[in-house]
Amino acid sequence: MKDETKTAIICIAPALVVIGTFTLLPIFYSFYLSLTDWDGFSPIKNFVGLSNYLKLISSSDFWKSVGVTLYYAVGVTIISVVAGLALASVINRSGRLMSFHRVIFFIPVVTSFVAAGVVFRSLFSPAGFLSDTFRSIGLSPPNWLADPIWAMPALIIVGVWNRLGFNTVISLAALQSIPRGYYDKAKIDGAGSWSRFRFITVPLMKPIILLLLVMSMVDAFLIFDLAFAMTGGDPLGATRVVGLYLYRNAFHYYKMGLASAIAVIVIAIILIMSLIQMKLSKFGREA
Amino acid sequence: MSTKGISRTTAAVLTIAIIVVAAIGYYYFTLPPPPPKGELKFWNYWDGTNREAINALVKEWNEKNPNIHVTSVTISWGELLPKLMAAAAGGEVPEVASGDLVWMPKLAKTGILVPLNDFIKDINYTDFYPEMRKIGSYGGKIYSLPVSANNLQLFYNKDIFEANGLDPNKPPTTWDELLTIAKACTDPDKGIWGMELYTGTGEGLTWQFQVYLWQAGGEFLSADLSKAAFNSPEGKRALQFWVDLIQKDKVSPLAPWGLFGQGKAAMVMDGTWMVGGFRAGGWAPLTFDWGTAAMPIPSGGGQATNMGGEQIFIFKTTDEKQRAAWEFVKWLTSKETQIHWDILTGFMPVLDSVARDAVYTTWAQTTEPRLGPFIENQKYAHARPMVTQYPEISDAFSEEIQKALYGTVSVEAALANAETRVNQILAAAG
Repeated sequence: MKDETKTAIICIAPALVVIGTFTLLPIFYSFYLSLTDWDGFSPIKNFVGLSNYLKLISSSDFWKSVGVTLYYAVGVTIISVVAGLALASVINRSGRLMSFHRVIFFIPVVTSFVAAGVVFRSLFSPAGFLSDTFRSIGLSPPNWLADPIWAMPALIIVGVWNRLGFNTVISLAALQSIPRGYYDKAKIDGAGSWSRFRFITVPLMKPIILLLLVMSMVDAFLIFDLAFAMTGGDPLGATRVVGLYLYRNAFHYYKMGLASAIAVIVIAIILIMSLIQMKLSKFGREA
Repeated sequence: MSTKGISRTTAAVLTIAIIVVAAIGYYYFTLPPPPPKGELKFWNYWDGTNREAINALVKEWNEKNPNIHVTSVTISWGELLPKLMAAAAGGEVPEVASGDLVWMPKLAKTGILVPLNDFIKDINYTDFYPEMRKIGSYGGKIYSLPVSANNLQLFYNKDIFEANGLDPNKPPTTWDELLTIAKACTDPDKGIWGMELYTGTGEGLTWQFQVYLWQAGGEFLSADLSKAAFNSPEGKRALQFWVDLIQKDKVSPLAPWGLFGQGKAAMVMDGTWMVGGFRAGGWAPLTFDWGTAAMPIPSGGGQATNMGGEQIFIFKTTDEKQRAAWEFVKWLTSKETQIHWDILTGFMPVLDSVARDAVYTTWAQTTEPRLGPFIENQKYAHARPMVTQYPEISDAFSEEIQKALYGTVSVEAALANAETRVNQILAAAG
């Protein structure tokens, strides 16, 4: 046992040093900065207590951006997890083409959001491919990115496009780890395909689904580059996600203290969301 | 007698000695100090063909001035200000840099720039356009010189004009004509619009709108820069014109920027740099025939445009390096170098004498006549208010104005809301 602990410590140490230096330290530092009025450059950092937090809590712009981000994150998470599962079960039956499909669906995952954002921006433009297609079949296209109602769905479409591959590949791996024997035995006992899905696939997939929900949600909540490249927060603030709000305060107005406070609140929100999701799904008990 | 003689000799020696010392002292204190020497780093964000242009000029300087060697360092627009500000916090400053004119209040406030008030006695400072001189002034001192300029004028699609029976050589000159032509060109079935406006939030909207505001005779901030001044009859007139183009006459789209370049808008107001971009061989060449014109003006209003460009400034280092840096700045902003620079880059002149120079004007007329409206109207270019809170003011203003463009609030309410927010930002410390 003692040797095991030692080995564990030795194995963890390098990663811990790296994470500590490049992740934990900056997090603590930004917490410290959130209590100051630092402008990002000046050597002077006046301690201002919680005034940055109070400013944010009373700012309707900030809460609006949190709401907008939640809209995006929930939209992307639900669609990409459900669609990922569905796609995985289809690919699971595609036999020899499986690895080909895996690669195809994974390509968007490794595509830069900025590049994708620029391409999708022109696809969604009034003079773009999507709008032309709508017109060619006699429909009047929505004014996607300039319409306060359609701008966010357009962002969610790109978010799902990006996320789907990851969720599919993970779901596929989980599906394949379920021993085939379970299904065969259930079949012999007379279970239909719905029952097999309901009583074998779902319970065994539950920890993976939960993992994907939490990961997708956290990932989507941190959206910045896509919104930056596609809409810049327009129109009427309909896509001004919290990442953009933070960026503007930090690198446009040089309010580094306030921006750090936003970052700390975002960390807290993500933590709370993850805890709620785990609680709701009674993480691990049925796994 | 002899004592008298000795004392006379002594007196003579003393007199000579005093004269010699005085002469040496005079020589020492009044002659210019020895010519400065040094290695200078020059940070700027000019890239692409502009980078080639500045490199060519720096090379020419280095050949002529073996004692002062300049190295031009390109840093992207987005990174340059943070880097300069970080340098201000105790990092390594370059000796010289040039940056976006809107950064100047922020940079001047840091106290890391050398005031140029003594240096400019060397040059004909008033040859720079007055609005550009305003930008370099902060707290009663001069911290930078203009080095390049651009402004906003009208671009129009001659093919769309012709397709709608309009004379492609008769661009609009008034707001009324602009509306008439825009109506004639708008074709919803083809997705073609009359006039493209910048309807996204941010400085893009604000600096475009300011042109209409100034044309109508309005001001953006009060003269002492302490409060908003756009909530005025002139401001209402300008905003009403935009709102009508979009909501009433439906000749301007609510759409992401760039329709003119895609051939989907007949007219647009854009910057000097797009002349270089849109032409054959540019970085965004157009597939249709196009022209430029001075921005149409409202009845009873006047010509006005917004000024962009770069300013050059010197950092506090050592006395010798500062003097060396000034020699370079003086050369770069001199008439001869500026003519060369403007021809290489297509930037607008910052010196009145360049704009009237025969070599320059001949070049412009023969090589790129579409620069004409920009050159002629540079003198009407206004500087944006030089306050440190400008980026935040600009965002807040654009957010409130956008609501009027979308028709969710009235023109009056949008201007009043923008006024409240801008005044709040100005009241907070910058």
